Amino acid sequence: MKLSATRSLLAALLLGSVVMQATAQEHSYAPSDIENGRGLYQANCLGCHGNNGDSVDGVKLGSGRFRRASTDEDLIALIRTGIPNTLMIPRPQLAYGELRALVAFLRSMQTGGAVTASDEREVVIGDAGHGEELFFGKAQCSTCHGVNGGGSPLYQDLGGIGAQRSAASLETSLLDPMKEIREGERFYQVTDKNGASVQGKLMNQDRHSIQLLTLEERLQSFRTADLTAQGFIQTPMPAYLDVVSATDVSDLVAYLLSLKE
Amino acid sequence: MQLKKLITLVTAASAAALLATSSLAQVSPARLLAAESEPGNWLIHHGDYDGQRYSELTQITQENVGDLELKWIWQVRSRDGAPEKFEATPLYVDGVLYTVSPPNDVIALDPSSGRVFWSYTYTPAPEARVCCGRVNRGLAIHGNKLFMGAIDGHLMALDTRNGRVLWDVSIGDPSLGYAITVAPLVIGDKVIVGPAGGEFGIRGFIAAYDVETGAELWKFNTIPGPGEPGFESWEDPAQEAWKLGGGSIWTTGTYDEELNLMYWGVGNPGPDWNGDSRPGDNLYTESVVALNPDTGELAWHYQYTPHDEMDYDATQVQVLADIDWNGQPRKVLMTANRNGVFYVLDRVTGEFLLGKPFVAVNWMDGFDESGRPNRALSPSEEGTFIMPNNQGATNWYPPSFSPKTGLFYVPTWLDTYSIYTKRPVEYVAGQTYVGAYPTMAMPALGVRLQNQRRPEEGQGAIQAINPQTGEIVWRHVMTEVTSSGVLSTATNLVFAGARDGYFYALNAATGEELWHLQTGGEVASGPMSFELDGKQYIAVNAGAGMFVFGLPE
Repeated sequence: MKLSATRSLLAALLLGSVVMQATAQEHSYAPSDIENGRGLYQANCLGCHGNNGDSVDGVKLGSGRFRRASTDEDLIALIRTGIPNTLMIPRPQLAYGELRALVAFLRSMQTGGAVTASDEREVVIGDAGHGEELFFGKAQCSTCHGVNGGGSPLYQDLGGIGAQRSAASLETSLLDPMKEIREGERFYQVTDKNGASVQGKLMNQDRHSIQLLTLEERLQSFRTADLTAQGFIQTPMPAYLDVVSATDVSDLVAYLLSLKE
Repeated sequence: MQLKKLITLVTAASAAALLATSSLAQVSPARLLAAESEPGNWLIHHGDYDGQRYSELTQITQENVGDLELKWIWQVRSRDGAPEKFEATPLYVDGVLYTVSPPNDVIALDPSSGRVFWSYTYTPAPEARVCCGRVNRGLAIHGNKLFMGAIDGHLMALDTRNGRVLWDVSIGDPSLGYAITVAPLVIGDKVIVGPAGGEFGIRGFIAAYDVETGAELWKFNTIPGPGEPGFESWEDPAQEAWKLGGGSIWTTGTYDEELNLMYWGVGNPGPDWNGDSRPGDNLYTESVVALNPDTGELAWHYQYTPHDEMDYDATQVQVLADIDWNGQPRKVLMTANRNGVFYVLDRVTGEFLLGKPFVAVNWMDGFDESGRPNRALSPSEEGTFIMPNNQGATNWYPPSFSPKTGLFYVPTWLDTYSIYTKRPVEYVAGQTYVGAYPTMAMPALGVRLQNQRRPEEGQGAIQAINPQTGEIVWRHVMTEVTSSGVLSTATNLVFAGARDGYFYALNAATGEELWHLQTGGEVASGPMSFELDGKQYIAVNAGAGMFVFGLPE
């Protein structure tokens, strides 16, 4: 059974990189470099850093921030020489052009270019000013989400979201919030023997206990033995086409894309 | 004259007494062969040569295991940042616990207090490279010598009494990926190991070294060269692929004294995920090899995954037991392979007796009459969905077999998959020689502090398998995946843990959980049991510590 969707993933990455080029401020990379870099990432990096570049604790390649490097040349030097006493071995065999391509791919991860990116649509980017009005007004985004502060701890702060996600990925999250919901953003419900239920963001779980940030914004732990039911639930975020027009969605996308810091 | 004679006599008598004491403290080959008669000690990496990890100690029972309490913790002192996974199974010999903290520090501990008798720090050569962590799985003992392999390919003997290095030899060039992570195996006057490095284009081997000097006595090439049997399974016309063929060794072999055969699982062929350059079955990768420990001569082999392209390895413990088979007693070998299939072989002849998946498997769909799997899938340029995932249904984590319940206990990653993508590979000396890493829903090696996954995104279990049928008798699901080994006991207990730090005691017959403790770090080692002053203890390395448990005073 081959994964039929995989071929379209390649196309998605290429299209995603076009969007990236339109939005990137400081870096511009050829789509072919990004694609070559993706292959080099798979061969050299994925085993430890994972599909989304976040498998090593404390390292998020997709954040665009690197502890030991800031410029492309820093990154190239780091990959070439490795980090002593870690699994990051030197890779002198990579040619300079290959290292450039790898860096291009790492930079593209910042705009949603994960190894398994799935969003291939081209999307309309509307009026960011009107998007901002909607965000703090009619669309009620700011009821939950802050922008560099101001929101609820239950929901992702959207400061810098425009530097982390592609337009297509942001639109998907507005139209179908459950589709691309990330591991740390999922909601959970537990029910005890008296039938009382508590909902919240799932912080951690194991065979004996569940840790939630409850809708009341309390960190609370539950003993599995005390529960009669537990499981993932729908995120409280509505599907936005039920609330605003298609034009409004493109304006919200434009506003979110403008949130680079 | 009389006085002088008396003094001589007394001196001779004390010398004899001293000798008696010191020979008792030494671990002779005969003691190793009779390890099961000393259940209070843990003399061999897997507890005994049979690899069962089954303890005959009976003080800790299903009735009192709920009272088990922590006696002490010993914590690793790291020199350069957080220590990597603490994978070693300790040895316990005549009142001393010996273990290896990662990468290659040897520690002798007082089992009553957790205080250190001595420690030895080895600094591996900076060019050492390991695919999957700077780890070490344990030690072997002979006489007053402990044997450790290091990640830079050095094998060394240390004095059991002070950790002094007695000899140190190199078995392979670390800059080419040759490393030792396996606990050595001592048989007679030989210490036997092989190199890790299957991701670096090594040519693997199993070799025996003189316990007294470290001199190499024989070498079995896990990748046969021209003129050696099995070479015909490397079918590339240029006859080049075997030189980089892999076939690494990273779990300790088992041994049957009566047959004088030892059984080693061999690692993957290189490159891992693109087999185009190496047509053929690629012997003896992915195989169990039965070798004569005196000569290294091959008696038989069985290949679990011919022409592997999924990096499944066969480096799982080849567990030996004498069991009833269709009404007849039979000497069998059992193994739960990383490829998701549980196997029973006749260990006299290598005959295939049973193969049955213990998780969801789609890379094969059954066996032919000879026991060769029908291969269903391979990596492709567009990506192929293959179960189990690249980390495997299980891995190096040592399983256990209880002759009392007749069940085989295996740490499992349940029903996982990877997308395997084929990409061109070029060999550059000292660099990874693999292809494209397959994708996985969860990190293979990284351990996150929080688990927010859905069950279908990966969870682990301890599973009990009936070797007569391959059926799963019970399954203890643990939310988090596991890299823990398993210990079973004569009181029908099973001890094992998980990545989330829990360490469990289970009912060996039913899987019911009887006791647990949160260790605060990943359990990625084999638990063991020992006796001190008439009391039974359980020890396990977890996170960066050794934890020792016992009953209340």
